[in-house]
Amino acid sequence: MTTALAEKGLAPAPAAAPDADRRGKRGRGLDDGVPRRQIYLPLALYLLFTLIPFYWMLLFALRPAGSTSLVPWPMTGEHFAKVWNERSFGTFFQNSMIVGVSSLVMTTVVALAGGYALARFDFRIKKGFMLALLASQFIPGALMLVPLFEIFKNLQMINSLGSVVIAETVFQLPLSMILISGFIRNVPVSLEEQAWVDGCGRFRAFCAVVLPLLRPGLIAVGSFAFVHSWNHFLFALMFLSSQDKQTIPVGLNTLIGADSVDLGALAAGGVIAAVPVVIVFAFIQKWLITGFSAGAVKG
Amino acid sequence: MRTHAIPAMSRKGGKAVRGAAAVAVTLALALSATACGGDGSDSGSEGSGKGKIVFWDNNGGPRTAIWKQIIAKFEKKYPDIEVEYVPIPIADVQSKYDTAIQGGGDSLPDMGGVGTAYLANLVAQDALEPVADRIQDSPLKGKLVKNMVDSVRSAGGDDKEMFSVPTSANQGTLWYRTDLFQAKGLDAPTSWDNFYKAAEELTDKGGNEFGFTLRGGAGSIAQAMEMMYAQSGITTFWDGDKTTLDDPRNVAALEKYVGLYKKVTPAADLNNDFTKMVAQFDQGDIGMLQHNLGSYTDHLKAFGKDKIAGVPMPPSADGQPRTIVSNPVDGLGLFKASENKAAAWKFIEFAASAEMNSLWNQDVGAIPANVDAADDAWIKQAPPTKAALESLSDPRTKVVQLPYYLPDWNTISKADNEPDFQKVLLGKMTAKEFCDKVADELDKAQADWKKHN
Repeated sequence: MTTALAEKGLAPAPAAAPDADRRGKRGRGLDDGVPRRQIYLPLALYLLFTLIPFYWMLLFALRPAGSTSLVPWPMTGEHFAKVWNERSFGTFFQNSMIVGVSSLVMTTVVALAGGYALARFDFRIKKGFMLALLASQFIPGALMLVPLFEIFKNLQMINSLGSVVIAETVFQLPLSMILISGFIRNVPVSLEEQAWVDGCGRFRAFCAVVLPLLRPGLIAVGSFAFVHSWNHFLFALMFLSSQDKQTIPVGLNTLIGADSVDLGALAAGGVIAAVPVVIVFAFIQKWLITGFSAGAVKG
Repeated sequence: MRTHAIPAMSRKGGKAVRGAAAVAVTLALALSATACGGDGSDSGSEGSGKGKIVFWDNNGGPRTAIWKQIIAKFEKKYPDIEVEYVPIPIADVQSKYDTAIQGGGDSLPDMGGVGTAYLANLVAQDALEPVADRIQDSPLKGKLVKNMVDSVRSAGGDDKEMFSVPTSANQGTLWYRTDLFQAKGLDAPTSWDNFYKAAEELTDKGGNEFGFTLRGGAGSIAQAMEMMYAQSGITTFWDGDKTTLDDPRNVAALEKYVGLYKKVTPAADLNNDFTKMVAQFDQGDIGMLQHNLGSYTDHLKAFGKDKIAGVPMPPSADGQPRTIVSNPVDGLGLFKASENKAAAWKFIEFAASAEMNSLWNQDVGAIPANVDAADDAWIKQAPPTKAALESLSDPRTKVVQLPYYLPDWNTISKADNEPDFQKVLLGKMTAKEFCDKVADELDKAQADWKKHN
């Protein structure tokens, strides 16, 4: 292959190889010959473009009301105190956390079971089932709002966080199951078979052999389930009808009035809403990328 | 992936799947059968007049503190009634009501905030209790501002019955920076000549100073209509079955208004909703803003009392009466499905009483609906509110009643035509083409509504 590339003038000359190695060690393996500024400048511009809204949010959250300063100085915590204490964001935060964590757990557990079935078993309507899972992604939540509302009402679950958790889980399951089944397919079935030979049952073999290998995939699916539930507004608005049950996205929307907006409070609320998501992504970034590349590309 | 399948498990799996499918189909059918929806017209009952009642605030958040204050006073007066307060974001209140109605109505509150913008929608779904008779038998009789009562009657759809008790109204106001006006020696924008002159003289694009900021994004058409009717002096929205929106005088007024874009306004105004527009005015060097009284507190916070003033929309010409379009009137609705209407009505009466109505409107910066609140000290100390109240109460003032009762009103005056309004601002569509298009849609909607009512 090297010869073929050399014939086309694409392979590096042998004498240049050590130099290329050295540059590769400095982290320029793929960008051989490309000046660093051509890589970092666009990245820096993109980063700037991405971070400016965050800076703007922090600016409004931290500077006093009425200030037009472009730096948050003098700094104030008045907006945070206002939304946390007066606007019940403490309660909203707690409710969002319950919804987010519960959806994460339920989605992950059910998607694991469903994904395992899709990956390891063969049944007659499997293709149709997969198609149905994919097709369900095209149904917007708003379309199902009234039927879901009616169902939860009949189950006496309106104004209960459980209704939001179930709705979020149901809407996230199809994609999660497809992703998890992709991850499971990447685990050779022979590993499980060895565990069966050693006397494990299917469940124990799954827990002992497959589950540990699914960590990146589980983290990817779980984090998406959490973030989606954390941010989702519609179900929480419609199914919850008392202030002590409302979640962060609904609380944020109540900061926008008909004719006036308290920008400081809105920005502070935005910061509070963003913190868990930022923390989640900061901790799972490594597994997230591994997880998606494993599930999506090889699945 | 078939290689991973285990034949024995496949057979068992097949049976299990068939069983699961049968259960799923049965469950789906059962759930579908229960999901037929309702219309919110459950008759409810008067109830004991005691116990717990639920109140949905249609602009939850900004008004939460004042509502909680009023509720505390109510519960002190009526210790055997407990009010549960639920704040609903203003942008989604109609969806919230609609979902609860379609879900059978028994998830609706006992009473709730209802604006005229979606009153007809609730009336059409038979969700609200008529309140005219209750008002006649209550201390509120004769105490509500006539123009607001007319707006509520008109918005309900039949001009006769009332389906909400008005509590406040808003009004279009020209806000202006008195410090900038004084620096340039300009007169207040109490006439259209003054307004256009000031807009030009306060503009210095190089210095990032503008005479005016307009609303080109969400909500642009309502504000444009306000400018059009105020300048044209046309006093009614309908001329027979045809709207006056495309009257040549209105078209000329619109041309003049959109001509301000980029000439005396920032280019970014194209995408302004009220939030961006107000923030832009409060943060920058902009001479004037057209917005309702609701942003008064924001302006006060930004500039202080000495640098900001507001006047009602000027009359079309000197000596002519003002023509103002009906801004949405906020009110309290009593829901049919309530099982405790007696207690809910007590709350509505209490909240609409002079003292509570005054307290509430002082806090939110709107015009009180109770006439006895008009002389309260806070109104005298809030010149823009006082001027708006005076203009609204002036018998010469003509209020152009917008057709909030049309089911398609919100669609026509918002989502469907706001992109076209942006085209007008950008010069890709003429003011006449825009007015003709919107007028045609409104005429059809009116004809359709008349056919069914």
